[in-house]
Amino acid sequence: MRYLICNGSIIDPARRVATVGDVWVADGVVEQLVDLTDLHAAPEPVGDEVTVINARGCVIAPGFTDLHAHLREPGDEHKETLASGGLAAAMGGFTTVCAMPSTKPALDNAALVRHVRAIAERDSSVRIEVIGALTKGREGHGLADLMELAEAGCIAFGDGGRPVSDAALMANALSYASVLGLPVMTYCEDLRLTAGWAMHEGVISTRLGLAGFPKAAEESFIARDIALAEAAGAHLHICQVSTAGGVALIRSAKARGVRVTAEVTPHHLTLTDRWVMGNLVPHDTTMITQTARRGRRSKTHPELGLPSWLDPSLLPPYDPSTRVAPPLRTDEDVEALIEGLRDGTIDAIATGHAPHALVDKECEYALAAPGISGLETTLALVLTLVHRGEMDLVNMIAKLTEGPAQVLGRSPSTLHPGARADLVIFNPDEYWTVDTSKFASKGRNNPLHGQRLKGQVMLTMAAGKIAYRRENFGHGGGHSHPTASRLEGILPSDS
Amino acid sequence: MTDRKQILTADDIRRALVRIAHEIDERNGGLHDVILIGIRERGAPLAERIAAAIADFEGVRVPVGQLDITLYRDDLRTRGPSARVRKTLIQHDVTDRVVVLVDDVLYTGRTVRAALDAIADLGRPARIQLAVLVDRGHRELPIRADFVGKNVPTSRSERVEVHLRESDGVDQVLISRPA
Amino acid sequence: MTIATARRRHALDLDDFTPEEIEEILDTAESMKEVLSREIKQVPTLRGRTVVNMFYEESTRTRISFELAARALSANVVSFTARGSSVEKGESLIDTVRTLQALGADMVVIRHNQSGAPHLVARHFAGGVINAGDGRHAHPTQALLDLLTIREHLGQIRGLKVVIVGDILHSRVARSNLWGLTRLGAEVTLCAPPTLLGPAAYWTATWPQVKISYKVDEAIAGADVVMALRLQKERMQAGLLPSLREYSRAYAITPERLARLGEKTLIMHPGPMNEGVEIWPEVVTAPNTVIDEQVTNGVAVRMALLYRLAG
Repeated sequence: MRYLICNGSIIDPARRVATVGDVWVADGVVEQLVDLTDLHAAPEPVGDEVTVINARGCVIAPGFTDLHAHLREPGDEHKETLASGGLAAAMGGFTTVCAMPSTKPALDNAALVRHVRAIAERDSSVRIEVIGALTKGREGHGLADLMELAEAGCIAFGDGGRPVSDAALMANALSYASVLGLPVMTYCEDLRLTAGWAMHEGVISTRLGLAGFPKAAEESFIARDIALAEAAGAHLHICQVSTAGGVALIRSAKARGVRVTAEVTPHHLTLTDRWVMGNLVPHDTTMITQTARRGRRSKTHPELGLPSWLDPSLLPPYDPSTRVAPPLRTDEDVEALIEGLRDGTIDAIATGHAPHALVDKECEYALAAPGISGLETTLALVLTLVHRGEMDLVNMIAKLTEGPAQVLGRSPSTLHPGARADLVIFNPDEYWTVDTSKFASKGRNNPLHGQRLKGQVMLTMAAGKIAYRRENFGHGGGHSHPTASRLEGILPSDS
Repeated sequence: MTDRKQILTADDIRRALVRIAHEIDERNGGLHDVILIGIRERGAPLAERIAAAIADFEGVRVPVGQLDITLYRDDLRTRGPSARVRKTLIQHDVTDRVVVLVDDVLYTGRTVRAALDAIADLGRPARIQLAVLVDRGHRELPIRADFVGKNVPTSRSERVEVHLRESDGVDQVLISRPA
Repeated sequence: MTIATARRRHALDLDDFTPEEIEEILDTAESMKEVLSREIKQVPTLRGRTVVNMFYEESTRTRISFELAARALSANVVSFTARGSSVEKGESLIDTVRTLQALGADMVVIRHNQSGAPHLVARHFAGGVINAGDGRHAHPTQALLDLLTIREHLGQIRGLKVVIVGDILHSRVARSNLWGLTRLGAEVTLCAPPTLLGPAAYWTATWPQVKISYKVDEAIAGADVVMALRLQKERMQAGLLPSLREYSRAYAITPERLARLGEKTLIMHPGPMNEGVEIWPEVVTAPNTVIDEQVTNGVAVRMALLYRLAG
């Protein structure tokens, strides 16, 4: 099969390429790129055997890599399977997904890892890599067979959503893993400080009467693990950093040369604990009267004048879809996370995809299973930062492609001729309304349900095969030169 | 705009209440068992005025109470709750007394029905009588007034508005119909 | 007769009540007190309606208060008490609510140990929901009965100095009273050891007028109302306090403190009390202590709220 993806804005951070052109794909690999801004390039004739995909107005980028997804198989197939999770990944533009070992039983032995990899190979069109458990049964008491797990093909170790509370065990794990050349992915939470937690500890938790997850519970463990990794000379990867203090700790560790990398989730980059309040009215009395009078508050974003731009008041208060670990933090933390992403302190955006069944979520807030089914909303969510001018598009794509590859110590996915044809086509300006009932993921737990987002995946190609294609996308339209104005909106001026 | 017409002046109201005071005296062969209970809101000042008229010609002060019938209404489901439920203020036991209910307008009879239920919860009067300033007809229940200030034939689309000094600053009764 | 302007379906907390609506409910509650003073303590207002009291946390006094209130309005009342969370029981809260809906319940009164549980019920129930206390979040009827008691004694709420002393952090009573009192214009001071209060900014961001104090003698000087909160013994076990004795010395309403306050200061407590811990027995029986009146007013306030939610 041969494809011509034409007229798109090609962005390939690994090759520092951002241009308008065509991508030819044949036999599962990228065949060639044609730069349409190069007027000397002669267009190749298109034969009948070629499938033409018109990507006018869209970005063509290397397929995304997700460092952190809970795919639930085996054990919790009612929440997700490798097949449904793989399809959800494709719908989100991901061509590689790293599965956390948080299955039942945990992925803490080689046989199980081989089994999961075999099912993934069979059931999923996107590549699914396996993160091996760091401790037996993810229980934090003894090391898993890390060497055998590495031989079975694990690309990293971690207990996926559970901290290793025993500092001595963590020190041993880092020391042991360091010779295997694989990163240790740590989830940072001091369980003694978070007993009974429901949400971020602060103003909103005080108002709602919910037990808090203090920032210190996360930051003290980040500091501990950095110190342990520094001593062991191991590669430590901090999962889902969520606080300004955490970003500062990682920044200073990197500055003195500690082998530490970090990821952030799309929800921690864009949402705050305000979302747990939902449509509860603020304290001011005049606001209540106004709300009562108007019936509903304005649906327009106050600054942008766009239709409901990430509007927490679309949710009821105490909506369990907003419960996630670590919890949604404050505006100040969101700003620090964005800054960390910009200055390279944070290497990658990882979805933290955590699908749950309805019964695990639709219950009393503090009892709801933490997590967001986020594969399918990640791109649109992080694009809000691009649309607001807080990140440039090339850097954003790098955090979904090059960044995670570097964390895993691999060569980044790229559109270089000869590279495996893992790519995504998305329209950064297309509005859509999130409807969780249409998710490919079995997990419908996502607080963005009903939000109008800007930016949508149109097509995902994994190893040269179409893994997802939005209905009717890419048909029609000739193979022609794009208008120059299209370039201005998308590409940063210095590229 | 609505078309409004005055049907009772301040003087008419005063004369009607004095006449009702005399009729209550005559009908009950004296006043020693009588207690006047005004239905809130506008029945309450009317009951006070009738009591004052009685005091003028008899020299006795009959007890007066105020009755709020909100909790006895039969239209909660359709009209919804009222913002405020007012107090029932009846200092005297109504058992074995002659209770004269006083209201401004008698219309469907539903308010009076609610008032009868409310009185029954407070005790067992010897008799209950009804005095109204205006009877505008259109009864929906088998209820009639014992003492009437003025009978006013109306259509259902018309509104009868009673204004009293105590609540509205002026004494008058208006009839209005939608234009 | 003014019909209630915006029809209210639920009473989950006082945070969405305007000052006018609170005053209206207190006025209505006073009328309900007249009904309760009669020989026949019943009016037919809610005849034929069914009110279900769902108590996922034992509270004899609140449950009986709601039952009496509903019966005084002639509603059919069913109550059940289930220990532990619904999750432990195996039946989800939502399943229970759907069942009650199918059985024809018109209104639900819910007490739950999880903050936000009444909001969850409200999302899945077609009728009205009244929060009878959820976790450490809210207890709106307690706040209303406190407001009614204060108003009866001191005339109006505006300008009063009210001090809430005790385990503020874990108290739904404190939070609902903060909404009610500040909305009606009282000056509120919260007083507790730091482990039972948390950072001051956590409170002042939501209630900008509120004052924070860690010293009870400074806090209560010149107070019009002092409200003591119950101290759960498990707070000490959790390491939040050195000892009950120290807590009691530093924060209890003692006869000495009462003497310094003067006779006009109202002493309140939402009950049940730990006499000798947060409040001294001599204080409980003092003439300016209105704890029994709070209980009496509870029935009237709950009647007023049940009436307002009926439509």
